Amino acid sequence: MGFWVTTLIFILIGVVASLSARLCFNRGPSTNLFHLTLIITATVCCWMMWAIVYLAQMKPLIVPILNEE
Amino acid sequence: MDGGGGGGGCCPTMDLMRSEPMHLVQLIIPIESAHRTVSYLGDLGLLQFKDLNADKSPFQRTYANQIKKCGEMARKLRFIKEQMGKADLLPSTKPATPTIELDYLEIKLEEIEAELIEVNANNERLQRSYSELKEYMLVLQKAGESFYSAQSSAAAQQREIEAQYTNDGSIDSPLLLEQEMMTEPSKQVKLGFVSGLVPKEKSMAFERILFRATRGNMFLKQIPIEEPVTDPVSGEQVEKNVFIVFYSGERAKAKTLKICEAFGANRYPFMEDIGKQMHMIDEVTRKLSELKTTIDMGLLHRNSLLRKISEQFEEWDLLVRMEKSIYHTLNMLSIDVTRKCLVAEGWSPIYAANQIQDALRRATIDSNSQVGSIFQILHTKEMPPTYFRINKFTSAFQEIVDAYGVARYQEANPGVYTIVTFPFLFAIMFGDWGHGLCLLLATLYYIIKEKKLSSQKLGDITEMTFGGRYVIMMMALFSIYTGLVYNEFFSVTFNLFGPSAYACRDASCGDASTAGLIKVRDAYPFGLDPIWHGSRSELPFLNSLKMKMSILIGVAQMNLGIVLSYFNALFFRNGLNVWYQFIPQLIFLNSLFGYLSVLIIVKWCTGSKADLYHVMIYMFLSPTDELGENQLFVGQRELQLVLLLLALVSVPWMLLPKPFLERKQHQERLQGQAYTALRSDDIDSIEMDANHDSHGHEEFEFSEVFVHQLIHTIEFVLGAVSNTASYLRLWALSLAHSELSSVFYEKVLLLAWGFNNVFILIIGIIVFLFATVGVLLVMETLSAFLHALRLHWVEFQNKFYEGDGYKFYPFSFTSLGEDE
Repeated sequence: MGFWVTTLIFILIGVVASLSARLCFNRGPSTNLFHLTLIITATVCCWMMWAIVYLAQMKPLIVPILNEE
Repeated sequence: MDGGGGGGGCCPTMDLMRSEPMHLVQLIIPIESAHRTVSYLGDLGLLQFKDLNADKSPFQRTYANQIKKCGEMARKLRFIKEQMGKADLLPSTKPATPTIELDYLEIKLEEIEAELIEVNANNERLQRSYSELKEYMLVLQKAGESFYSAQSSAAAQQREIEAQYTNDGSIDSPLLLEQEMMTEPSKQVKLGFVSGLVPKEKSMAFERILFRATRGNMFLKQIPIEEPVTDPVSGEQVEKNVFIVFYSGERAKAKTLKICEAFGANRYPFMEDIGKQMHMIDEVTRKLSELKTTIDMGLLHRNSLLRKISEQFEEWDLLVRMEKSIYHTLNMLSIDVTRKCLVAEGWSPIYAANQIQDALRRATIDSNSQVGSIFQILHTKEMPPTYFRINKFTSAFQEIVDAYGVARYQEANPGVYTIVTFPFLFAIMFGDWGHGLCLLLATLYYIIKEKKLSSQKLGDITEMTFGGRYVIMMMALFSIYTGLVYNEFFSVTFNLFGPSAYACRDASCGDASTAGLIKVRDAYPFGLDPIWHGSRSELPFLNSLKMKMSILIGVAQMNLGIVLSYFNALFFRNGLNVWYQFIPQLIFLNSLFGYLSVLIIVKWCTGSKADLYHVMIYMFLSPTDELGENQLFVGQRELQLVLLLLALVSVPWMLLPKPFLERKQHQERLQGQAYTALRSDDIDSIEMDANHDSHGHEEFEFSEVFVHQLIHTIEFVLGAVSNTASYLRLWALSLAHSELSSVFYEKVLLLAWGFNNVFILIIGIIVFLFATVGVLLVMETLSAFLHALRLHWVEFQNKFYEGDGYKFYPFSFTSLGEDE
């Protein structure tokens, strides 16, 4: 799985979560926007963390050197 | 990157983003319905009364007497509660809405208190005579056993002394005397005696003093009592001795009695005659049993009385506290004697206007008032209080923000993003999904037992963790996620997302521990490759990764903060802040650290070996030099020159224009005011006053504004560097956490396992558990929490948050319990 596929999965999860929050907890436009903000922020945070770790491992300058045991 | 949550302009409203719009309202309430009105408003709990009598002392206020009355009733209730505590009765905790009248309750409390005091006094008296009788009984029994032997030895002693005395007196007639004594011993020795009880610890001193006072001319017999005796005077349990003192002569008697008194020894009469003794014992036994039944009846009566009270106690207590708060509130209103009405002023959310008016109407109808209350909105320049409508989930996060400073009225609330970013930053430092699961289980216990625990009184620390249960839940959920990314479960790795991307260079795998493995597939799809765990190059790799991650996340969060300052400027229609604060700040931060972030990502994507430190340092030192082997992309030198220029330009851009433009705006406003004042000739004096007041407030001190802007600019420019560095704590804490947990796992659990001994293994497991819970789950949670707190309070919030508002405290009955 490449970078973009997983990113797409994150986006999909974000969209699904936003939609389900909208459908399950519909409490007026201002609360819905609040929920949407929370979900988007959480998704962006999680995606960022994953993306950083993934990108760092794409073309590593250091390779794992096993312990001799 | 992180700014996606802005919500597209500031126009649509969002929960929690801005505090509720408030207005200052004035209520004019007829005096006959005032009490009921305030009580209904207390039920509603959406109005914060202003104290209109701030200059008056508590005694000068209108309802001082009623407050005194309530205070007295509260005292009586406390007395009753104390009595119930002594009787081991707890007030039933059913939530009651008071139905009784205050006046009725006052009389009732008076009666109850009088009755309780009387019952107590009676009981005390009876108890006292009961323990006196009990002591008497002891004296009768103990002294009776040894009275005669003591008496005879006392008599012998006396004779001896007398014999000595007479021996000294006359030498002629020793034999005769002896004869006499042999024949009539009782006639010779007429001894008086005193009996009673003396506390055991004083008995030695008692004996010594008696001996000295009578010059040895006495005989003391002490018999210890095995069990402690209730002292009639103090009511305490004391270890005592029964004593009998024999003495001769009136003077010795007086001395003995005085000494008894001084030592707190209770004296009891004792009969020499055995028949009288038996009679006495019978009588005392009878009296004792009579007293016992009387006392039991009294206690039973008191307990049934208290039990009856305990059913209603909470209701009464609530009523008294409510009434007291109502009168306190009424005291804040200013009274208009001529018009027989009270004037109230207070803040309330705009959405509550209808509810308040409805409450006023109901109060007027229910108290059969002829005139209704008047509700009107006042216009003021005062800053309204800050009020967020929070629920049990958001309240703890809002408290985190409020602990730093309450938001200024209607400014963007960092609480919205804190709900996600706070647990996220915590989790970066606490990335281990095993520990995350432990935290989650612990907090789920609180959340499931929420109903039960919230009505209970908890200890300080439990109370705090219980209050933050949803924060901890979010922290645990994010730690599970980051733990999966770090691929750590109590510092053990799993191949959850497929095989490692690395393999040996050849079939023999000979150089795996010298030259290392090579990459054979795409990067590990989710999180860290498990092969890194335990390898020799683990630390260099993780350090480089976590350091860069800290910078990337820090830059993203600081940008979010700057973006929020844009929304604030937009909301308050402050164009100056957009053009001369937001834009230069954004440019400055991103031309330096935004560029660094881009470099990091480019380096990762291209696999370049460029030295980023070198690039950043020489971007300032010699920006025109060729980059050489540190070049990451074409045109990098030119881009760096542009960015450097932009950063340099944005500093004076932040500093200079804003104060000058503010001065210009102020002057224009002043001129505008002058024109209107000239045009309208018929302004009445009040409006003039108002104008003068507002003018006085807006005195424009250019030097002050300029210095303020200078400080702000310096703070931002230096802060951009130091705040970015401050985010490196994410790296440090995360490293410390993973190292500690791997030490506990390898040096305790695996070491104990290696001994192949069940006993050592059990000890190892116990030590591992305690270390994990104590150090990792408690201490590390605390330290990661504090560091996340700091990153929010300082690095994130100083980009946009003023935090100089004050909180909205409505008058409400639901918050009564928390006051005391």
